[in-house]
Amino acid sequence: MNIIKVVKNIFRNLKFTLGNIPKKAITISYPEERKNLPDRLRIGTFGLTSNKETGEENCIACKLCERICPSNIIDIEIEKRDGRGFAKKFFLDLQSCIQCELCVQICPVDAIIMMKVPASPVTLRSDLYLTKTKMMNNAKKYEESWAKGSILQKSFKPAPKEVKENA
Amino acid sequence: MEQFILFATPIVKTISILILIVAYLVWLERKVAAKMQSRIGPYLVGKPHGWLQPLADALKLMLKDDSKPKNSDSLLFNFGPIWIMVVSLASFALLPFYFNNQMINTDLSLMLFIAISSLVIVGIFVAGWSSNNKFALISVLRMVAQIISYEIPLVISLLVPCILIGSLNFQEIINYQDGSWIVFYPIIGQISFILFFISALAEGNRVPFDLSEAESELVSGYTTEYSGIKFALFYLAEYVHLFGISVLASIIFFGGPNGPIFNSNILIVIKSLIFFTIILFVRWSFFRIRIDQLLKLNWNKLIPISFLVLLATCLIKFYLDVKL
Amino acid sequence: MERRVIEQDFGDLALNMGPQHPSTHGVFRLKLHLEGEKINKVESFLGYLHRGVEKLTEKLDYDMIPPVLERDDYLSPTSNSLGFINTVESMCGIEVPDRASYIRILVAEFQRISSHLVALGTYGLDLGGALGGGASLFLYCFREREKILDFMESLTGTRFHTNINQVGGIRYDLNDSTIKQANDLIRYLRPKLNEYFDVISQDEIFIKRTRNIGVISKKLASESGGSGPVARGSGIHFDLRKDSPYEKYSEMEFVTPVGEIGDAYDRTMVRMKETIQSLNICEQVLDRLPEGPISSRKPIKSAKLLKPPKGSHYKAIESPRGELGFFIVSDGTSIPYRMKIRAPSFSNLSIVEKLLPNTYIADAVVILGSLDPVFGDVDR
Repeated sequence: MNIIKVVKNIFRNLKFTLGNIPKKAITISYPEERKNLPDRLRIGTFGLTSNKETGEENCIACKLCERICPSNIIDIEIEKRDGRGFAKKFFLDLQSCIQCELCVQICPVDAIIMMKVPASPVTLRSDLYLTKTKMMNNAKKYEESWAKGSILQKSFKPAPKEVKENA
Repeated sequence: MEQFILFATPIVKTISILILIVAYLVWLERKVAAKMQSRIGPYLVGKPHGWLQPLADALKLMLKDDSKPKNSDSLLFNFGPIWIMVVSLASFALLPFYFNNQMINTDLSLMLFIAISSLVIVGIFVAGWSSNNKFALISVLRMVAQIISYEIPLVISLLVPCILIGSLNFQEIINYQDGSWIVFYPIIGQISFILFFISALAEGNRVPFDLSEAESELVSGYTTEYSGIKFALFYLAEYVHLFGISVLASIIFFGGPNGPIFNSNILIVIKSLIFFTIILFVRWSFFRIRIDQLLKLNWNKLIPISFLVLLATCLIKFYLDVKL
Repeated sequence: MERRVIEQDFGDLALNMGPQHPSTHGVFRLKLHLEGEKINKVESFLGYLHRGVEKLTEKLDYDMIPPVLERDDYLSPTSNSLGFINTVESMCGIEVPDRASYIRILVAEFQRISSHLVALGTYGLDLGGALGGGASLFLYCFREREKILDFMESLTGTRFHTNINQVGGIRYDLNDSTIKQANDLIRYLRPKLNEYFDVISQDEIFIKRTRNIGVISKKLASESGGSGPVARGSGIHFDLRKDSPYEKYSEMEFVTPVGEIGDAYDRTMVRMKETIQSLNICEQVLDRLPEGPISSRKPIKSAKLLKPPKGSHYKAIESPRGELGFFIVSDGTSIPYRMKIRAPSFSNLSIVEKLLPNTYIADAVVILGSLDPVFGDVDR
């Protein structure tokens, strides 16, 4: 009774682990095979986009992304010419980014976006300090992620019921 | 001079083949464990299967820093690993391992083998005590209790085939099993094999009885303070000891060179490798049990069963002798 | 050579299961007084992972807090932000649309399954050793968890700290391919979880190691403020999803499993049965997903526009560890005056000082693993 139950348990346990031997391993050997990256990936670097037709930069230096970042990593200096604002200096410290995408969501002109690359390791600390030229090159070099400011804000509509909000 | 060469040649042959086999047993264990867990084992060193991994490991361990804790006894600290390795290798002088003519052939080979291979506990105890470390002390205390307790079922389960055959000599045991193996003897063959299997797991400190190296409670057991080549000696000596027990199992219970179809010397090695692989499967499938449950298992369940089996064997042998 | 004597009068042996140890599930120091193998006295020291989250929130706006709070209980991140956002929404009186509430439930239940899989896997490591049977169980559990994290990645973009919840709704929506992936995931997970449940609940050595170990009586559990699987294992029927339902949980049908004795075996069984019930909830969500908007606020122009009225409020949700509550005091501006987190792991862990005396060292590890503390939650 007891012995038979113990023996049955032992064999069931062995079958549970030995049944895994004929199956294929699930490791992906890294430099030869790569994983398929999903569309909405946001663990890579940032990029500053430019207008598709005129080639002019999109960022109007409204400083909304600087204010909403929880980790305070963005630093912008504004300069006004030609009737609109330009960013004289746009500095992003990638060491403290927590990948929350709040800056992408709040940008009114779709200027700052995240690129669809996996995060790559660097050897110098200064490789993680992104300047404006680096970010504009990123936007031309890598593929863009799905999330942009207008797409993320488009899903916001007031509900049919009445909302009480102190705005 | 010629006498010295005649004396030393079998020793050198056996030790070199043995070390090579044991180094690749470590590779086999890592590959089998990886297969059971949906991953690939050693892979990069010597693609595609990692053939050169034991060589890389040995080289790395030889180049590591050889440190010693400050307040430990340096003579005893160095003595432990050397003793374990010497004893484990010395027990292979009695086994008809590769040649089918062992180096020492006496009428008491089996008893001598058990006596020599149970000297391992002295080295382990010295290693743990002289490390000056509380974790090592607790682990060694547990291990001494475990190994001393499990000697009894081991010896009794090995006595059962010897009573049936009538001698302790390895050659006569092999010649007796020409027709059928001991493990196929009606009931006592199987029971004594199961007892031997459980005691061998406990003697070799394998799961489910390996709580003296329990990494989740005591950081590494008695090998906590060792690094470099001394750690490699501990590691290899465990595998040599275990391989010796599996060769013993294949000779006594499974017929040695008398295979199912043909007779040859290489079958000893093949059968002991199969026995070793079964021990590996058990290691990577079960949890470990606590020290007091382990000792209760021994004294309450295994020893009465082993005495009953011994009594039954003696009665059967007496009946057979009287009848004939 | 000088010699030091460690124990002067051969009394108790003092052993330190120190801050770095292979099995204390985090940074936690336990000083044990041993007599042979039995434990006589226990002293515990906390605070190695304190990061000052509550002080940090005194400088951030309400919309910027959820991504920071997700690092609190790092094994089920969305439950932290869900609790905070529920409190803010009940303070302001914001209603969440149906579709957003359903997707929040879906993500929360998947995170519950992933957190319980980690608990089971590391429990196997404690019982079986890093080289042994425990490692096999550990790798199987993490193999299933990878599929859940892949689903999170295709829905939001990161595997773990997803930041999908936001005051008023959610930020990322499901489309056809993610719905299909979710359905495939549920169909893949159900037989696997049932198989693990069968094998482990009847494994002889597992029963021997966990039966009648660390028995928490009903009185002790309710007096120390235990909640979650720790309290339910002792027989107390307390589940915040049924007693004070928060999102659309009142429309879902599920059963909360309850144990009998309150030993380590019962707690593990309660966790495993909960994962199967979570799969049922996810299936119901995907069957009845309504159409509609996913947020009920206007597009955010600035983080300073959300100003709850003056006063204080407390609301709690059911995280995988127990009752996770947030107490917010607001003074009318867009920055909270004071926020206090009621951490479930802290109250659960305080039981350890009463359970450990008169047990063996091997049992200490088993008991600590069955309480399932997460030290990001204990120390905040």
